[in-house]
Amino acid sequence: MPVPENPSSTDRETLERDLHATVRELREVKAALDEHSIVAITDSSGKITYVNDKFCAISKYERAELLGQDHRIINSGHHPSSFFRDLWTTIVHGKVWHGEIKNRAKDGTYYWVDTTIFPFLNEAGKPRQFVAIRTDITQRKASEDELQRVAAELAEKNKELEAIVYTVSHDLRSPLVNVQGFGKQLSRACETIRAAAAASDGKISLEPLQKPLEVTIPQALKFINAGVNKMESLLAGLLRYSRLGRVALNLRPLNINAGIAEILAAMKFQLDEVKAEVRVDPLPACVGDSVQTSQVFSNLLDNALKYRDPARPLRIVIKGEVRDGQSIYSVADNGIGIAPEHQAKVFDIFHRLNPDLATGEGLGLTIAQRVLERQKGRIWVEGQAGVGTTFYVSLPATDTHA
Amino acid sequence: MLDAMTTPHPPTILIVDDDEGHAILIRENLEAAGLRNPVAHYRDGQALLDFFASRPVGAHQSFLILLDIRMPKVDGIEVLRRLKADDALAKLPVIMLTTTDDAREVERCYELGCSVYIQKPVDYDRFAEAIRRLGLFVTLLLLPEVSK
Repeated sequence: MPVPENPSSTDRETLERDLHATVRELREVKAALDEHSIVAITDSSGKITYVNDKFCAISKYERAELLGQDHRIINSGHHPSSFFRDLWTTIVHGKVWHGEIKNRAKDGTYYWVDTTIFPFLNEAGKPRQFVAIRTDITQRKASEDELQRVAAELAEKNKELEAIVYTVSHDLRSPLVNVQGFGKQLSRACETIRAAAAASDGKISLEPLQKPLEVTIPQALKFINAGVNKMESLLAGLLRYSRLGRVALNLRPLNINAGIAEILAAMKFQLDEVKAEVRVDPLPACVGDSVQTSQVFSNLLDNALKYRDPARPLRIVIKGEVRDGQSIYSVADNGIGIAPEHQAKVFDIFHRLNPDLATGEGLGLTIAQRVLERQKGRIWVEGQAGVGTTFYVSLPATDTHA
Repeated sequence: MLDAMTTPHPPTILIVDDDEGHAILIRENLEAAGLRNPVAHYRDGQALLDFFASRPVGAHQSFLILLDIRMPKVDGIEVLRRLKADDALAKLPVIMLTTTDDAREVERCYELGCSVYIQKPVDYDRFAEAIRRLGLFVTLLLLPEVSK
């Protein structure tokens, strides 16, 4: 048996110094850990052999009540037994377990802890003891629950609102039918009077009837009809908007280049008429509803056409890229543009920036926004008045691009 | 116009609508379009069902029903359902005449067996034409029974 080499006194001093330093450092690390975390140590069978002050504080048990027990003492009953079975299987195989656990304190209150269980192994590679380090996440869990509750409530309110919009739009159409119908009756009665007066060979004096028949009544009817038509189109728009939330989405990978080619083919006549030049780059695919996504791009191209600058030939450039899992498309034109202070408002329902330039309900972009939101997408606008407008559309990228 | 005047029993048009203005407009526009059928107005679904319930059994008279959907008491969909469930009334042509253009509701009405679905405000010329066709259909349908 070889005789161990006697370390020289300087070596031993160094070793002792190193040992002291290491022990001190370990003690400091443990103090720091105890200051930050809830710590417990168990033996290989799961019996608690050590708890720090924070463990006692959060579980509201005395240290003496905990030592020798296993963690069932703080089991909240929230997790299925398979949850703890999986945990146990992981750590007895010498692997680290990480997860979130809901526990019950001595006074019956609950608390959530983000937990890491680290097995200390013996020479044979079997767990000798387990160290559990936990962080109190009760507050975060409460916030998450609250967030979920609020989100559900919001979705419910949104549905309610759509239902209200739907019902109200219908109820409003009913009196409108009367205004329109009886307006037509008046118009017809007016014709009858005019014809009777003309056929009476002067027996009915036309003089006092002239102004009401020729000016007042037709003017009144003109405004009544215009009002009815406007109201009718607003209600039709509201109904259309209220239905969006009820349309079932068919989400699948979309070839946007093909979709845009179809839209451009359908718009060819209008585009050629104004000698518009359209450039479409190769675009990434995305996941969305084919019909609704087409509507969005169709609306953007239609807007580019409507709000072109007559002083220069219309140029539209469509580009796309994938960024952070989203396919982002841009539709840029050199039209009249939108001043920055008006940009947020273009998505407001029935808001029309330039009602004199083109016809419309002021609904296209509102619907585009709603449609994209439902598909986990987004729409936003950039641009300068007098230079042009760029609309951006983002939709989830297909997996191959993510 | 010819159909209604040359056939011996032009069907009576039953307008079921809670809005009196709508009923007047329908009646007057049909007259303006040349229809000469007798017209009666019921203010809600219950009133129409009461009318049918009070008629003597076996009375031969043809009807054509113009039915609004949103009405107090018994609504139009329910009226349609009950008419089609009644062997004696199931063959009466029913025109749904309503402000709703909700695809699901339209589909529902056709499933229940309505003849035509028209959205208000209507194009009365085309409407009158639809009634003429349906009216002629009703007359042909009921004539053998009347003549026997």
